[in-house]
Amino acid sequence: MTARMPSLPGDLTRLGFSDPRRADTLLRDRSLAPLIKDRERVESDGLAVSLSRVADPDQALLALVRLLDAVATPANDAFRDDLVEALREPGRARDRLLAVLGSSTALGDHLVARPEHWTAVADAFPLEVEERIELLTTAVREPAAVTPEDALRLEYRRQLLGIAALDVSRPDPQARLSEVASSLADLAEAALEAALVVARAQVGDAADRCRFAVIGMGKTGGRELNYISDVDVIFVAEPADGADEDAALAVGTDLATRLIRICSSATTAGSLWQVDPALRPEGKNGPLVRTLESHVSYYERWAKTWEFQALLKARPVAGDRALGRAYVEAVAPFVWQAASRENFVEDVQAMRRRVEDNVPSGEADRQLKLGPGGLRDIEFSVQLLQLVHGRADRSLRSGTTLTALAALSQGGYVGREDAQTLATAYRLLRTLEHRIQLHRLRRTHLMPTSASDLRCLGRALGHQRDPEEAVVTQWRTAAREVRRLHQRIFYRPLLSAVARLGPDEVRLTPEAARERLAALGFRDPKGALRHLEALTDGVSRRAAIQRQLLPVMLGWFADEADPDAGLLAFRRISDELGTTPWFLRLLRDEGSAAERLAHTLGRSRYAAELLEQGPESVQFLGDSGGLRPRTRDEVQGRMRAAAKRKDEPQPAVLAARAVRRSELFRLAVASLLGQVGLDELGRALADLNGALVDVTLEVVLRGVEEQTGQPPLSRHLVVGMGRLGGGESSFGSDADVLFVHDPVEGAETRAAQEQALEVVKELIRLLGVAAPDPRLEVDAGLRPEGKNGPLTRSLESYRAYYERWSLVWEAQALLRAAPVAGDADLGAAFVELIDPLRWPEGGLDAKQVREIRTLKARMESERLPRGADRKTHFKLGHGGLSDVEWTVQLIQLEHAHEHESLRTTSTMGALEAARSAGFVDAEDAVALAEAWRLASQMRNAGMLSRGRAVDSVPSDLKDADGMARIMGLPPKSGQELANRYRRVARRARHAAEKVFYEA
Amino acid sequence: MDRQQEFVLRTIEERDIRFVRLWFTDVLGALKSVAVAPAELEGAFAEGIGFDGSVIEGFARVYEADMLAKPDPSTFQVLPWRGESPGTARMFCDITLPDGSPSMADPRHVLQRTLARAADQGFTFYTHPEIEFFLFEKGWRPGETPTPIDQAGYFDHVPHGTAQDFRRAAITMLESMGISVEFSHHEGAPGQNEIDLRYADALSTADNIMTFRTVIKEVALEQGIYASFMPKPLADHPGSGMHTHMSLFDGDSNAFYEAGAPYQLSKTGRQFIAGLLHHGAEITAVTNQWVNSYKRLWGGGEAPAHLTWGHNNRSAMVRVPMYKPNKGQSSRVEVRSVDSACNPYLAFAVLLAAGLKGIEEGYELAPETEDDVWGLTDSERKAMGIKPLPASLSEAIEVMEESELVAETLGEHTFDFFLRNKRAEWADYRGQVTAFELDRYLPRL
Repeated sequence: MTARMPSLPGDLTRLGFSDPRRADTLLRDRSLAPLIKDRERVESDGLAVSLSRVADPDQALLALVRLLDAVATPANDAFRDDLVEALREPGRARDRLLAVLGSSTALGDHLVARPEHWTAVADAFPLEVEERIELLTTAVREPAAVTPEDALRLEYRRQLLGIAALDVSRPDPQARLSEVASSLADLAEAALEAALVVARAQVGDAADRCRFAVIGMGKTGGRELNYISDVDVIFVAEPADGADEDAALAVGTDLATRLIRICSSATTAGSLWQVDPALRPEGKNGPLVRTLESHVSYYERWAKTWEFQALLKARPVAGDRALGRAYVEAVAPFVWQAASRENFVEDVQAMRRRVEDNVPSGEADRQLKLGPGGLRDIEFSVQLLQLVHGRADRSLRSGTTLTALAALSQGGYVGREDAQTLATAYRLLRTLEHRIQLHRLRRTHLMPTSASDLRCLGRALGHQRDPEEAVVTQWRTAAREVRRLHQRIFYRPLLSAVARLGPDEVRLTPEAARERLAALGFRDPKGALRHLEALTDGVSRRAAIQRQLLPVMLGWFADEADPDAGLLAFRRISDELGTTPWFLRLLRDEGSAAERLAHTLGRSRYAAELLEQGPESVQFLGDSGGLRPRTRDEVQGRMRAAAKRKDEPQPAVLAARAVRRSELFRLAVASLLGQVGLDELGRALADLNGALVDVTLEVVLRGVEEQTGQPPLSRHLVVGMGRLGGGESSFGSDADVLFVHDPVEGAETRAAQEQALEVVKELIRLLGVAAPDPRLEVDAGLRPEGKNGPLTRSLESYRAYYERWSLVWEAQALLRAAPVAGDADLGAAFVELIDPLRWPEGGLDAKQVREIRTLKARMESERLPRGADRKTHFKLGHGGLSDVEWTVQLIQLEHAHEHESLRTTSTMGALEAARSAGFVDAEDAVALAEAWRLASQMRNAGMLSRGRAVDSVPSDLKDADGMARIMGLPPKSGQELANRYRRVARRARHAAEKVFYEA
Repeated sequence: MDRQQEFVLRTIEERDIRFVRLWFTDVLGALKSVAVAPAELEGAFAEGIGFDGSVIEGFARVYEADMLAKPDPSTFQVLPWRGESPGTARMFCDITLPDGSPSMADPRHVLQRTLARAADQGFTFYTHPEIEFFLFEKGWRPGETPTPIDQAGYFDHVPHGTAQDFRRAAITMLESMGISVEFSHHEGAPGQNEIDLRYADALSTADNIMTFRTVIKEVALEQGIYASFMPKPLADHPGSGMHTHMSLFDGDSNAFYEAGAPYQLSKTGRQFIAGLLHHGAEITAVTNQWVNSYKRLWGGGEAPAHLTWGHNNRSAMVRVPMYKPNKGQSSRVEVRSVDSACNPYLAFAVLLAAGLKGIEEGYELAPETEDDVWGLTDSERKAMGIKPLPASLSEAIEVMEESELVAETLGEHTFDFFLRNKRAEWADYRGQVTAFELDRYLPRL
């Protein structure tokens, strides 16, 4: 007794048993007695040491005990001694048996039930497919004491044991993956052949009426099968000589139905796998069996791109081989012409999206197959490249993933290193999948979650230390690698067509590169190649980095509405920034910067143009938190600082305009990314324009001071009108303003007026002077007397004018007046002057109300541009911006004197106040607000998308699509966007008619 | 779908079809046709046939680009009246934009959209129209009253009657095109006939109605007479309606049926009727789309001009027909306001939308009207809460303008086009000086 104590539990633990106490008991079990040499010291016995080398020693030990119990029965006398003998001595037989028992509880159970199969493990050797077919068909033809179905299952399992034995007892299973996968496919092929024998026997003589072939698809066709997986097939039948076609098809259908049932149904001996005929023409709705001609005519006419992708793996696997070969030969031309089909590009893009989206969300982080960086990614990339290039290059036409990948690498279609990395990852993922499936012989593609399963998996992959963690890390690393390569594998070789990537790299021909670019959605592949060439030309560090970046960026461009424009803009910016070190570093190192840039350029001509004028703004993209709009003070501080660095007024203002341009870019990107809402954007754009006007005014006044040697004769004020005053500007808004000055004490009025006029003219000139940075158009058309009146007036002159002449429309315009630049005190004085006008005591009289209504009605009929659609014009159309604004303004004019909340320059603010005060009912207020916002958003989206003002819902579908994408709608929503606008505008028009016209 | 395309191509080969007419319908319900050679058909299935949308009523100015007509192979039919060989066939088309999305201006798509909404709630929509029309002698000239081909009345059997020959020929032709006829007889007015089509899903029925109108006109021409679906061609006689029986199925069971309920009408059925009545006025411009439609609607007799329902009440707008024992599947409601000159796609769409709204919102159904609505006085009607349908196209337009239901169902573009077109029609009509005015005023004033 004492001798046993020290061995527990340490030694067995060290050997890898997770439950050493139980292991100890089992090792001392009576049934193991014949195997153990020293029962006192089981832990150092050869058996225990051998067990320590298998994936799950505890499981293997338990299975071993059960196996020996099972052979103890007299029925097994014949081989009991041989088995015990094999297990007692170290060597291949024992290692294999233990390895199988330690890897698969299901196969362990099978051995317990059928111990006579032990030799299939101990003496396992590779078999040719013909031998497998021979063994299996013989088994079902002479089924001895069982049904043919059970005979099929037993012999299948027996051979499966052999494949598993060779697989799990190898030190480096990944290296031999292809061999295992092809053996499994051969076994499936043999099983189908044997099942067909059974089916034919059931059908009887009638079976002779039809030539019948089974075509393997998917992994079966590719000769790269899993342990447990659906076996994808297509059935072809032809009438045998002299037989009628309909009769033959009926027999074929009968055979196919039986074959499916023979393989799939569960009997006492278990089941094989599901036979899945869903890849046939018309899928589940199509007939199970077709003639060759019917297949061909289907593929000629109706098949979709993904079906050709599937056909790439077609291979005859059972039945009439000549017919099977004829089928494969007949469909091959379709497969290899698929890339030239009409909708190939769209289909491929849709398939790519589907690959990304198609992961059941709860399992995404455990999926070996469908998850990001999973097997599907590799298979998809390989197959797609085969379809694109296999047309011209026959060497690529293999159904086996690894073979095809090697051929792609050989031909230069995939970078050599990329191909190697991908192949390694593929082998790892498949090996993991195999081990997981082997464990319980279940069809699963999920990483296990329990610690013990992970541990077993880790040990199976050869990890001795911390196997649980090691295996997960290994898997995640591979998946990340696949993910990375998946994105660039399409694009990287494109560069090899135009640039030397590495000394031993095979180059993609320009022809092949153009084909691939076209397949990715580039409309002008030649142009795109030229840009690529320019970007990656030479040996500079810049070219080297671009070669790294572009493969991924090309993919992002391809996602957008206009990939060509995106790439062109990128080239311009890269040319501009040239060797600026931070530019490339930013794109390479800053995570999402390159992606944001690609999407921005592909989506927004406005942003692209801003960036071309000032490429250094690219920096904002690297700053993930940096896209919040800046405050007016912040912006103005920057503009002022920039202006101060220049002595002359014009350069100073241009410097401030550059600051504005870069802020515009920031706001554009923030809008594109949905990081800034409409209200915030309107405020920020108004502030930006206000700040520029203010700084420009400062510069001009400083110039006056320097010129005349004395302070300006007046204080100056710029009042924002319209959207500027309301703080609701859009991209591309003009600045509507009034200019006000106030002569300082002692200044002569006329001289002050003259000087003020000069100041204003200079201000307008400097803001509008042609320069790379966008100008700010200043419009003073709302001033007293309009174009006939002086550009600027003194405060007193305004006072006099408004006292004598003021018209209702002027009061209305003043509703949105707010000082935006210049002297703050003067601003306060001006506001005090206009408040009684815009919020008149007692509201409006009936005549004034009628005047406003008439004016609006006239404007509707006269101001709409020729050819514009009254229903969809954002500003002047029915339910457009001016409907909403006039409605709100009329309420303000009538009621602001008694409702302080109405005294705001913001249209949306005033509308909300009018609703709270009960001047508009809730439903109308919602309709008006919705229309105003949608029109504003669409104007912004139009400007962003096309780089110029878009005044109404575009009648060009592509333009509408571009805007819809910016507004967050899925691709192809152009028509939907138009419908949405018209609905919202109709409701708003309705409300405006009710509230404004009181109709 | 794919198999059907295959079937079509095979049939064309086998039956030696030389032309295939691709049919679609403009917003006002006129049939449009473009003929293609069989060789072009494969392309038409795959990509559609391009045409300039701006020349079709209601399709104009949506987008600058061409539109595409994509034939629906399930509607393939050989046209019997073009002679047997070489033959002509037809298919209805769906209209799409170049990016592949269905055109929202296509009336067929309007109905499909509404059917999809019903399907979201688990319903399929079946209809069964009773189509009335007139047969006139040929040679009518503007300004004249048309001459009916006979002077018979309701259910009259006319020995050696042209109408009878006509109906026999028409029904034979309809049946040969796969359109089943349930019932046919002489109607109340001289020269007026009625043919009832068998129950089918609403889209097939609408397609069938379009075919029906063509067949009827075609057969009439062959027989040297003229057929018209004008709602009210003869001032002194009843007009031509298209009473439409409707039912919703939830899977295999009739959602309007409930054993033991009054008239065996389920809650869903009652709510559906409530929806029809609640929105009845605003959909009238669609179900009765012509100036002339209102002369039938307000012509008295069996024409239903009030928003009421009843059991076997022939003056009610919605009638719940007599329930036949053990025929739970045949529970249905009959709308009697629709006329034969409507656009069936749009009419079915708005009727369905109104009924669905009733179900969605759980409208309460007002008590039924047992009296003949025409026999009641205005005050009685007021007291009973009976509201009239619009009295003219102008009134109908006004109510429709306010209707979110119709706007949503038709889509903004079609809604807008329809209103503009109908306003223009009304303005044209108002500008006329009619025979009535001349007869009555000229001598006196």
